[in-house]
Amino acid sequence: MSATATNTPRLERAYARLGVLLIAPTILVFSLVIVYPLLAAIYLSVFSIYTPTLQGNFVGADNYVKLLTGHEFWNSLGVTLVWTFGTLTLQIVFGVGMALLLHQNIWFRSLARSLVLFPYFLSTVVAVLVWRWLFNDLYGAMNHGLMQLGILDMPLDWLGSMPNAMIGVILVGAWKYFPFVVIAVLARLQTIPEHLYEAARIDGAGPVARFWDVTMPQLRNVLTVIILLRAIWDFKEFDLIYLLTGGGPVTSTQTLSLLVYQEAFGLNRMGQAAAYSVGMMLVMLVFMVLYIRRTGKES
Amino acid sequence: MADVTLRNVRKQFGTFVALEKLDIDIRSGEFVALLGPSGCGKSTTLRMLAGLEFPTSGEISIGGRVVNDVAPGKRDIAMVFQSYALYPHMTVGENIEYPLKKRGVKATERKAAVLRAAEMLQLEPLLDRKPKQLSGGQQQRVALGRALVRDPQVFLLDEPLSNLDAKLRSYMRAELIELHRRLGKTMVYVTHDQLEAMTMASRIAVMFDGRLQQFDTPAAVYNRPANRFVASFIGTPSMNQLEGAVDGSTFRVAGHAIPIDRSRFVHALGSGTFVLGVRPEFVTIGGGDLPARIRLVENTGHEQIVTLELTDGTRLLARTDAARRLDVGQSVQIGFHPDALHLFAPEETGRRLNKDDAASVIPMRSR
Ligand SMILES: Nc1ncnc2c1ncn2[C@@H]1O[C@H](COP(=O)(O)OP(=O)(O)OP(=O)(O)O)[C@@H](O)[C@H]1O
Ligand SMILES: [Mg+2]
Repeated sequence: MSATATNTPRLERAYARLGVLLIAPTILVFSLVIVYPLLAAIYLSVFSIYTPTLQGNFVGADNYVKLLTGHEFWNSLGVTLVWTFGTLTLQIVFGVGMALLLHQNIWFRSLARSLVLFPYFLSTVVAVLVWRWLFNDLYGAMNHGLMQLGILDMPLDWLGSMPNAMIGVILVGAWKYFPFVVIAVLARLQTIPEHLYEAARIDGAGPVARFWDVTMPQLRNVLTVIILLRAIWDFKEFDLIYLLTGGGPVTSTQTLSLLVYQEAFGLNRMGQAAAYSVGMMLVMLVFMVLYIRRTGKES
Repeated sequence: MADVTLRNVRKQFGTFVALEKLDIDIRSGEFVALLGPSGCGKSTTLRMLAGLEFPTSGEISIGGRVVNDVAPGKRDIAMVFQSYALYPHMTVGENIEYPLKKRGVKATERKAAVLRAAEMLQLEPLLDRKPKQLSGGQQQRVALGRALVRDPQVFLLDEPLSNLDAKLRSYMRAELIELHRRLGKTMVYVTHDQLEAMTMASRIAVMFDGRLQQFDTPAAVYNRPANRFVASFIGTPSMNQLEGAVDGSTFRVAGHAIPIDRSRFVHALGSGTFVLGVRPEFVTIGGGDLPARIRLVENTGHEQIVTLELTDGTRLLARTDAARRLDVGQSVQIGFHPDALHLFAPEETGRRLNKDDAASVIPMRSR
């Protein structure tokens, strides 16, 4: 575009100025709450800082060398990927399944639609307390139930041993966040024209064929966006895991968020924590670029 | 090819009765239009034929087989939707191919069939496009292509032309007539446009308020409407209907007596209120003894539609040739062509009381 000032209509220029004026407050707030902490983190990451006093000295790239050569970051990255992949897969499978079910004309539909949101609205602290009670090795309902069914013959220490702890965290994460997928998918399902299903029925497609040939293609875009969004959110999930296992046993459920927290407030090494968080951000950048490219393509 | 019959069909949605006492016999290879105002139950009828709705009671058969419990895909019918309902993520070719694929036709045969259908509808250059990249008329043809590719016994079309502009509509009308002639398949065509019904169908089922009013050829529906509803629904402008009383061999309206030929109507005509019907083209201005005043003259170029007012304020329309000079406010004497009079019972769907009907007025050319 090579529109010069002379051939841009005056009204259009006035609109452009108005536009700048209108987005200015947003830009300002955005800079304060996002850009500043980001720059601060990068700044902190080249110092060795004692958290309680926030005093320290410049160490250059030392923190990053530690990140690359030590095993903490890579261990946590692995844990984070396992957690993200595991919980996201379950969220999508159960979310889409439940959305399809709730899209049917069943009598308890409106009740079920509100009930399904329950885990999502529940405060994480409350949810985790309930789940810890369920998972408890001494009096937990989970062990009791599984033993009654004959699946277990000894009570299991769910959150205190591997791989059960990871499985537990993934399950609770899936339970907590699948309603988001249900809502987004259900909203999209309701916009698929009924005529397409009718045409498919006349064309001889059974229920399975109708799902793959009519429903799925229409869900593709919304699913891509959901997966990317949830991947970003799950990747940086903190409170749920922290409250459930605290990263344990040892570091086997210590995701990057927990590592950063542990480094900053457990070991009081703010500089190293900042370096880890910058590393984490770079990994997340990959998701974000994908997300932005994806949503940009749609408009 | 197959007959299609509806036998005493009734359809209820909850407590709402959408269709009642529906009896229609469609002969093999016929082009039948279901015509009626919005909400009269045309689509519901068609959807029951397709198997997308099920009759509350009654029997539907296609090709001699009762299909009440047969799934849409197993009825050997194809349907074209008003919204076309093309699969948005598939190309034109894949859309047309889809019904064959779902019926397990071999890939090579499928390709050939798609090409044949595409050729018939001039869609070859568009086969690789997505529906979004097509105009309304092109999408319409793709929908037709998907319907005819697998050679079904019966075609069901629900207002397939209503989303097109006037010019394209008249073009597609001709295309559809031609297609029907070439395929010779039974077609059931829903429309609320009488012009489409009159020009395309071999017989028209006129519906109103969930009931079949008349099922006959376009000429018969026009010339011998079964009741007042059909008389007013078919024809533009619609038939004049004057309320009055039969008195011996005259019909009294607005303080004047119009002579009628009693022998042309059923014997049992008692006294009381009746409705006299006459189409605008059979109202002659300056040719009778009924005084009237000209209220409005609408010249369409090849004819004039004249609104007349009788002395008691009753209005009626006349159709005259465009060359004639008529002025608003002018007082005229009007008359009705004696062979073109219809008599109806007074209620909204009052029965026609003519005896008939060999002496019917100017026959329409039928297809
Ligand atoms: N699924 C349904 N539930 C309840 N009522 C319905 C349903 N489908 C149709 N109806 C009612 O049945 C009647 C007939 O509907 P139908 O769609 O057959 O009308 P139509 O003649 O096709 O009208 P249009 O020309 O507007 O398409 C309408 O009064 C409509 O409100
Ligand atoms: Mg309809």
